[in-house]
Amino acid sequence: MADTICRTLRDGGLEGEHAPALTIKDSKASPFGFDVFNYVLTQLSNYILAGKSQSRGLVVVAYSRSPSFYVDLLKRRGIDIASSHDWIHILDCYTDPLGWKNWLIDKDISQEASSLSSFCQDVRNLDKLYSLIIEQGKGLIGQGKDRFSIAIDSVSEMVRHASISSVAGILSNLRSHDQVSSIFWLLHSDLHEIKFTSVLEYLSSMVASVEPFNQAAFGQRVDLENLSMLEQNFRKGKFHVRFKRRNGRVRVMASNLHQFCLKMK
Amino acid sequence: MATTKPRLSSFSRNLSAVSSSQTPGVKCGPNGTMFVSSGIADLDRSLVMVMEDAEAPHHMLLLRNFMSQGLVHGQPLLYASPSKDPRGFLGTLPSPASLKHDKSRDRESEQEKGLRIAWQYKKYMGENQPNFDSHRDNKQDYCNEFDLRKPLERHYFTRQRVNCVGIQDSKNLAALQEHCASFLAQHQRNDGSCALAGRIAIQSLCAPQCEHSNMDWEMLSFIKSLKGMVRSSNAVVVITFPPSLLSLSSTKRWQHMADTLLSVAAIPDEDKELAKLLSGYQDMVGLLNVHKVARLNTQVPFILEATTFSIKLQKRRFLVLECLNQAPVDGSSGSSYGTSGSCSGSSKAGTLDF
Repeated sequence: MADTICRTLRDGGLEGEHAPALTIKDSKASPFGFDVFNYVLTQLSNYILAGKSQSRGLVVVAYSRSPSFYVDLLKRRGIDIASSHDWIHILDCYTDPLGWKNWLIDKDISQEASSLSSFCQDVRNLDKLYSLIIEQGKGLIGQGKDRFSIAIDSVSEMVRHASISSVAGILSNLRSHDQVSSIFWLLHSDLHEIKFTSVLEYLSSMVASVEPFNQAAFGQRVDLENLSMLEQNFRKGKFHVRFKRRNGRVRVMASNLHQFCLKMK
Repeated sequence: MATTKPRLSSFSRNLSAVSSSQTPGVKCGPNGTMFVSSGIADLDRSLVMVMEDAEAPHHMLLLRNFMSQGLVHGQPLLYASPSKDPRGFLGTLPSPASLKHDKSRDRESEQEKGLRIAWQYKKYMGENQPNFDSHRDNKQDYCNEFDLRKPLERHYFTRQRVNCVGIQDSKNLAALQEHCASFLAQHQRNDGSCALAGRIAIQSLCAPQCEHSNMDWEMLSFIKSLKGMVRSSNAVVVITFPPSLLSLSSTKRWQHMADTLLSVAAIPDEDKELAKLLSGYQDMVGLLNVHKVARLNTQVPFILEATTFSIKLQKRRFLVLECLNQAPVDGSSGSSYGTSGSCSGSSKAGTLDF
């Protein structure tokens, strides 16, 4: 089922339509959202490299992991980064999000990562971030009518520095940009009020929720009876996806998270 | 709704001899009201609110038909939207259904034909028939059917007729309020006569990308003032909003503010149980619920005979609303809900085209 999501992102949007947008939602009861995010990122990267997707490039807006993490992740998945300058760019909102170190570059970042990434040093200014994303995306695809995709590794981090309406604004504007093929983001739903989660679900065309394998076990006292159920929650999860179809109907799918998805740490 | 009979009681305003309106699409109704036909009963001079479903764009179908109908009949339009390019939406407005389509429906019964016209008027056809017909001869036939696959011709979008306002970038609702006030001032209602009617369509008023979306009281205050302004004008206002993005108390307040309250809902795809329960499920794209209908200048309530309609796209082109009538449980034969999903005749008597 995760593949269905990836294919929808791969196929992108029709002319004049908003780009498909995916919210990956998890909580501490089943904290596998980031694994799902990595899986989708890897799959989309494979599609782009194989020339099978509508998008020709990918901009990763990295809030909660450093660019070198993504370089290593893709390396482990066998994605050749020698030619990675062509199709991927990482906007580093992790290293120095508020511009405290803007007079020097962090020496810990590997040379490879730094050539693939650029810094965003004021994550409070989402208008500037929007321009940066579009600029980097256009830089990847060049002139013409090609499109690029965007991955935001955590809107939970994004909303720490900006208001809900400005986060909603940037996501909505990115979706409606002509050259954006698809966009996906990660959300840790228990960090926010229900309103923010509702806003993101409103703005998305697909909502993938990661839920505990044993719903009843979560939140209860740990004792011998539910210990095994709790243990299962740390190894497995349930996956619910709601697709908003073009005809206005909603397609609901559910499955278990695959083991291999959980190994992508 | 089509089968409701007009109720006359001591609470009705006496209708003095008012000549039938010379303005196309405007008729005299009971209780001293003037009706701007928007194809749906009792919407006129009122505030219509449509509760969106966050998972489906059906409110856009309603807005498109509403806006097209106004433009086709020469009624000025003010359209406000949270998108970056509100004017771009005009390109998706449907064109009136072609004559070819109309002819294919001529075979249907006289009763249905009457209902296809702005159906509220059927009640008043008796005394006003000659005048109404003369209008039809001279002007565009009153149009209730639109072809969603054929865009409206661009000459309808002149700036004199359509004013588009973006609400995403404004800090508050003051600018929108001013636009609405100046628009409605042009369509002030004078006693005994009425100028050209106008329509206001506001899409997703509390959309999250708008800065005013977290200003609960400002939004409520805006709606209240708009409602007051529309009462003294010859216009109708339709506002859509997603209630899932408002607090529960705000949602209740907005619902109370509405003269007419509708909601649209998505339906699940490939749902076998729903397919058994509802006949015509295959063609349905969503549901429309009528929660409240405006009743102006009267204390007589409007009791609806049906409140839930299915939204279908006939041939993927024409928006059709059909009453959802479930078969009542028949004790004698043991049949239950779902065996006859729609009552016989409901697809005829209940069809609401607009």
